[in-house]
Amino acid sequence: MATLQDPIEMAAPAFSGPRWRSLRKVIRANGLHALLLPLMLLWISPLVWIVVTSLKSRTEVFDPNAGFLPAVLNFSNYPAALAVAPFGTYMLNSILATGGILLGELITITLAAYAFARLNFPGKNILFTLFLLQIMFPIYATFITNFLTVRELGLVNSLPALVVPFIASGYGTFMLRQAFRQVPTELADAARLDGCGHFGILWHVYLPLVKPTLIAFSIIAVVTHWNDYMWPLLVTNSEQVRTLPIGLGLLAKSDSGADWTRLMAATVVVVSPLLLFFVVFQRRFVDSFMHAGLK
Amino acid sequence: MVISPAFRARFSEAALAYCLLLPSLVFLAAFTYWPIVRSIYFSFHDVMLGSDKIFFLGLENYERLWTDKLFWKSLGNTVFYTLITIPCAIACALLLAVALDSKLRGMTFYRSAFFYPVMIPSVAAGMVWVFLYAPGYGPINSALAALGLPKVEWLYDARWALPAIMFMSIWKYSGYFMLILLAALQLVPRDLYEAAKLDGVSAWHRLIHITIPLISPTLYFVVIIGLLHSYQIFDYVYVMTQGGPADATNVLTFYIYQNGFQYQDIGYASTLANILLLFVGGLIGLIALVFGRRVHYLGH
Repeated sequence: MATLQDPIEMAAPAFSGPRWRSLRKVIRANGLHALLLPLMLLWISPLVWIVVTSLKSRTEVFDPNAGFLPAVLNFSNYPAALAVAPFGTYMLNSILATGGILLGELITITLAAYAFARLNFPGKNILFTLFLLQIMFPIYATFITNFLTVRELGLVNSLPALVVPFIASGYGTFMLRQAFRQVPTELADAARLDGCGHFGILWHVYLPLVKPTLIAFSIIAVVTHWNDYMWPLLVTNSEQVRTLPIGLGLLAKSDSGADWTRLMAATVVVVSPLLLFFVVFQRRFVDSFMHAGLK
Repeated sequence: MVISPAFRARFSEAALAYCLLLPSLVFLAAFTYWPIVRSIYFSFHDVMLGSDKIFFLGLENYERLWTDKLFWKSLGNTVFYTLITIPCAIACALLLAVALDSKLRGMTFYRSAFFYPVMIPSVAAGMVWVFLYAPGYGPINSALAALGLPKVEWLYDARWALPAIMFMSIWKYSGYFMLILLAALQLVPRDLYEAAKLDGVSAWHRLIHITIPLISPTLYFVVIIGLLHSYQIFDYVYVMTQGGPADATNVLTFYIYQNGFQYQDIGYASTLANILLLFVGGLIGLIALVFGRRVHYLGH
């Protein structure tokens, strides 16, 4: 945060002195901060609000005369939030569902991307188009009939229901195919001469070389599916299979705005795993979203 | 008949390829293409949730669309949301990306501050904004009151509810688009800017005539991502307004949900889902047609 106060400190001597040229220089150098700082404050205010409210007492929220910060730090909202709903189960389900999707996706896209990148077969272009078109048909447009399929398979209200629609990934296949194509064919040829088959080459040559792409894809996949809301909402109806976002939504519904402090404490619990990961692996996250784009 | 070794090699390569594609194809077929085929089939039938009976209706479901005022309203809301939110979010993202594409102090912090909303689950984001928009004690109204401005009922006011959700969406996605644009900006050769600066080209004209043309492929890509993310408005509507007040925030995805799960009318819900696919697909096609050829590919 120290850097954010610098513009003011630097600007102060310039204002007092008669050196207008240096004043202009300062404004030019810090004009960007003047633009970005208010926007940044606007952007982080919801997060600040969540944290601050989670530490308030119930009456403070509705009291117009209460200050922005809580009078006393009230940590009791956290145990209260964790007690009203089985957040441990939700967390476990979130981990299992997201992990299942990621594992499934990594397997399917690795196999398919290798075929598209390095093998020749009839119908390649048509099949590749079918893969890519999937990006245009997200679950939000097909959930009605997908729900019927999942119900006919007898999967409603089970963890596999949360996973199966997302196992195949057209975009992941596309990303990984691009990465595989960057790998020099000489490396694969050398491995073949050493007696490696297709799977050996894939495992020992291709996968280690496209690690950055795999990581980027995994990060985007985890962020997307950890936060999934609509589909889990439709296919779960008991505590045993609900995920964190669904649990949070239920809590909000049952509270209906009566207890914002507890709800905000629950929100902190739900948003913090990903935000913590983001803070720790910031560069990786930023690089992934920068260069891999969409999910 | 003699099979040549070359043919055999080609055949085994193709067989291997199909085996490798099989796992993906099974899931693609079951959860992407079969639902679409089925939804087209259902749109010509009377299908109820929880009932095995199916009656052929012909075009009745589609005729119903014409007279269904709520359908037109939800379509209008979807169009309004999409056509305002995406350009605003992209403009905002471009502004941020250009501002951050320099050796600025605190750059990493700024970048994270604008990006973090992407990490927050849509349900949590929606809920927090319900709180922020709360009519009586909500901080936004408190701030308005402090500035001497009239209070607004936001999510309870039919005029303001959809714009309120749109504003929240811009907050949620701008950082995402900003990052992608930032990656593109870093590839623009610095000397182009320097040369233009020496020629006395203003910052605004540099943006319009150098930056935007050079990153146009990425902008095009961001527009498509934006369109696909706009589907997610379902989550916000579900959490924040349930389509209200007076259907002011009822959008196609939510109306499909209402018809399918609340009224259990799968046939009509499928018809609506087909319209949604046509709308988004059409929009993407239109954008590809208008901008696809014009985008400037750096170095290609």
